[in-house]
Amino acid sequence: MADVGRHPRIELLAYSEVDNVTGYVGNFTVTVRKKARYVDVAECTACGDCEDVCPVTAPDEFEIGLATRKAIYQPFPQAVPSAYVLNIDECLGNNPIACGKCLEACDKDCIDYDDEDELVDIEVGTILVCVGMDVYDPTTLDEFGYTRYENVITSLEFERLINSGGPTRGHLIRMTDREQPRTVAFIQCVGSRDASRGNPYCSNFCCMNTVKDCLLIKDHYPDVDIKVFYMDIRAFGKGFEDLFQRSKEAGTVYIRGIPGEIEEDPETKSLRLYVETTTEGGVNCHEVDMAVLSVGAVPKRDSDMIQRLLTLQRSQDGFFLEAHPKLKPVDAATQGIFFAGCAESPKDIKDSVTQASAAVGRANRLMMQGEVKVEAITSTVIPDLCKSCGICVKVCPYNAISCDTKAKTPAVVVEAACAGCGACSAECPFGAITMKHFTDSQIDAQIDAMLSDNPQDKVLAFACNWCSYSGADLAGTNRFQYPANVRLIRTMCSGRVDKRFVLRAFAMGAPIVLVSGCHFADCHYINAVHWTQRRVEKLWDELEKKGIRPERLQLEWISAAEGQKFATVMRAVEELRQKVTRDEIEHTRKVLADVLEPTGVVA
Amino acid sequence: MATREEGDEKLRVGVFVCQCGLNIAGTVDCEAVAEFAETLDDVAVVFNNRYTCSEPGQLEVKKAIQEHDLNRVVVASCSPLMHEPTFRAVLAEAGLNPYLLEMANLREHCSWVHMGEPDKATDKAKDLVKMAVARARRLRAQKEMVVPIRQKALVIGGGVAGIQASLDLADAGYQVYLVEKEPSIGGIMAQIDKTYPTMDCSI
Amino acid sequence: MAEEAKFCCLRCGAEFLLPYTPGVTEERTCPNCGSNSVRRKKDK
Repeated sequence: MADVGRHPRIELLAYSEVDNVTGYVGNFTVTVRKKARYVDVAECTACGDCEDVCPVTAPDEFEIGLATRKAIYQPFPQAVPSAYVLNIDECLGNNPIACGKCLEACDKDCIDYDDEDELVDIEVGTILVCVGMDVYDPTTLDEFGYTRYENVITSLEFERLINSGGPTRGHLIRMTDREQPRTVAFIQCVGSRDASRGNPYCSNFCCMNTVKDCLLIKDHYPDVDIKVFYMDIRAFGKGFEDLFQRSKEAGTVYIRGIPGEIEEDPETKSLRLYVETTTEGGVNCHEVDMAVLSVGAVPKRDSDMIQRLLTLQRSQDGFFLEAHPKLKPVDAATQGIFFAGCAESPKDIKDSVTQASAAVGRANRLMMQGEVKVEAITSTVIPDLCKSCGICVKVCPYNAISCDTKAKTPAVVVEAACAGCGACSAECPFGAITMKHFTDSQIDAQIDAMLSDNPQDKVLAFACNWCSYSGADLAGTNRFQYPANVRLIRTMCSGRVDKRFVLRAFAMGAPIVLVSGCHFADCHYINAVHWTQRRVEKLWDELEKKGIRPERLQLEWISAAEGQKFATVMRAVEELRQKVTRDEIEHTRKVLADVLEPTGVVA
Repeated sequence: MATREEGDEKLRVGVFVCQCGLNIAGTVDCEAVAEFAETLDDVAVVFNNRYTCSEPGQLEVKKAIQEHDLNRVVVASCSPLMHEPTFRAVLAEAGLNPYLLEMANLREHCSWVHMGEPDKATDKAKDLVKMAVARARRLRAQKEMVVPIRQKALVIGGGVAGIQASLDLADAGYQVYLVEKEPSIGGIMAQIDKTYPTMDCSI
Repeated sequence: MAEEAKFCCLRCGAEFLLPYTPGVTEERTCPNCGSNSVRRKKDK
């Protein structure tokens, strides 16, 4: 930790948050909000004089409320940067008449009540997302009585209790009487491996953390009896089985079964655990002095914000989604962004360190080349067709198009800023914008090829590259079976799906057309998916006016993690297809016949 | 080697149907798909490979491009999200612009999801190849833009992963910005007492 | 409370009320079948 503070090439922006991100691989501009700390980090020597005179006490976050701190405080003794911070909401000093004691006590004059948030822009080539995790809050699991019974604590609270730097200086005590417990129970999988009461996934580190905690207790207090209640002990890593066996040899008793209820003795405050086990049969009662809930991991609270700022994707469990589970496990789908640590999935320290080094290897591989090739999928204006209406400017999520609507000069695309969603191309009323490598003529050719024979038997589905197409891939890797009538046409973004493509498909005899894209929060092109929705809504109206059932145009948001949903949607659209009659298809063909006439636009 | 650009030359599409061992061929009749591909417009040659992505498979694509003077390539195998970069590189090595490649996804989108319906899966595979050839015929060579990449990195989060990443990057010579939301780095790791498997202190 | 409007599902035909602000596009899901083919009924 201290190495980070000392390294000449690391600029540490502590107490700061990412406010905005623009740009693309190799050239990201990141706006960072440096939150007002009210203490000058460079000047503060962490002498603690301010803390001594501060009259305000508040729960200490680092000690998870097991101790108190002052309103001006150092988060923990080894903090980096080694400097104090003032919580202005708790401070009385905002009104110096009321207090101002710390200001007086500080020899270095480094406290400033008027400090304000500061925004700084930094320019980088790659971004590593290491936002970590939060611990599961077991309050909702009523049967364990966490917060109702003081002697039921979480595994993280236990860490502070057994830590020599913690509130009890490492003395293991129970909360109610401050006496050393004679028996301690650990309950595993709290918040993990149970979809109905917490999260469905295994949190990875809790088994070994408990094994370690048991060894620590036995080291310091060999006479304390320990019972571990578990479903499975997952000691799969290098050296892990050895530790597990050592903890057994040290006297830890492992009991297979998770208690269904904890009851507190109102007088002794001891706990009675009622549990059905695989070995004993029937419900048994175990009496212990304190119980530790081995809590799992949950995605970091502000993952939503990071996801939106960096246009990332998350898997169904809420952790960030890698580009490929085996072949690109630390890459984000967006080039130049990488994951490490619990941001991607729950993992222990060793795995976090390993993944961090892997992510650095991937980032290094990009940066060391000095330059990067950007896929040639960008939009191009056909100047002769452009009427300078300016719609494309409004549509573009990246402000990559400019157009002087007064001077009536054709729109111009800044290629380096264009990410290639194609929403402009689809929205242009004059067919004056096309996408390189996803041209109108290429997509028309795919539609025609698919529907030139037996169109009544087929469902045409447009799928965006990042989410729906990947979701279909995932359905494949998981072998989720669905009817064979659907054929996909891939576009980079569902925003590329021009109204013309849909009408063309119907004119060619398609019974059902599906437009599928990313969920709004997953959109790889900031908000291009909004245009998809608007366009489909307009199309429903237009189809209805033409006497075509709007039900024949389906819209679905399917993420890269939703293989199951993809298969479900495929079954649903096949059911809808079977309800479309031949007469209906013939009628549509007649109504839309003019769609197939050459427009003279060659793209 | 100079990259050929498209011009007035006649379209010559090469189609490579991959069996992917039995992953595709176990459900889809690859031979029938290959025979069908031969009937499509502008298709000059069709191959039926066991593993197109393997070294010999790639070599065959390269050789075919040169021997049959192909100017469009369709690989009917797995997802482009998996192997498009592989085959684009093969085209480039054979002197063809990488954007003249199109893939038909016969594995993730066909053989793996219609395992009980081999006939329908084969019909679908034919359609997917037909669509890919239709698209390939209209593909144009593209030039990729080369942009400079800054020798600087942003690390978001100063827990154990962020700390390790920052140190590795900085030691490798890059300027690192480490953004941490809390007043100190350390994250959850700093709150933990001893850590397994070494049973030493976390800080 | 946001305004509500009547929507119908183009997959299963269910009709239901959902929050609606004119001019704002939102992700909508049918509470009956989970489809996103959710269309606002304009006549009422």
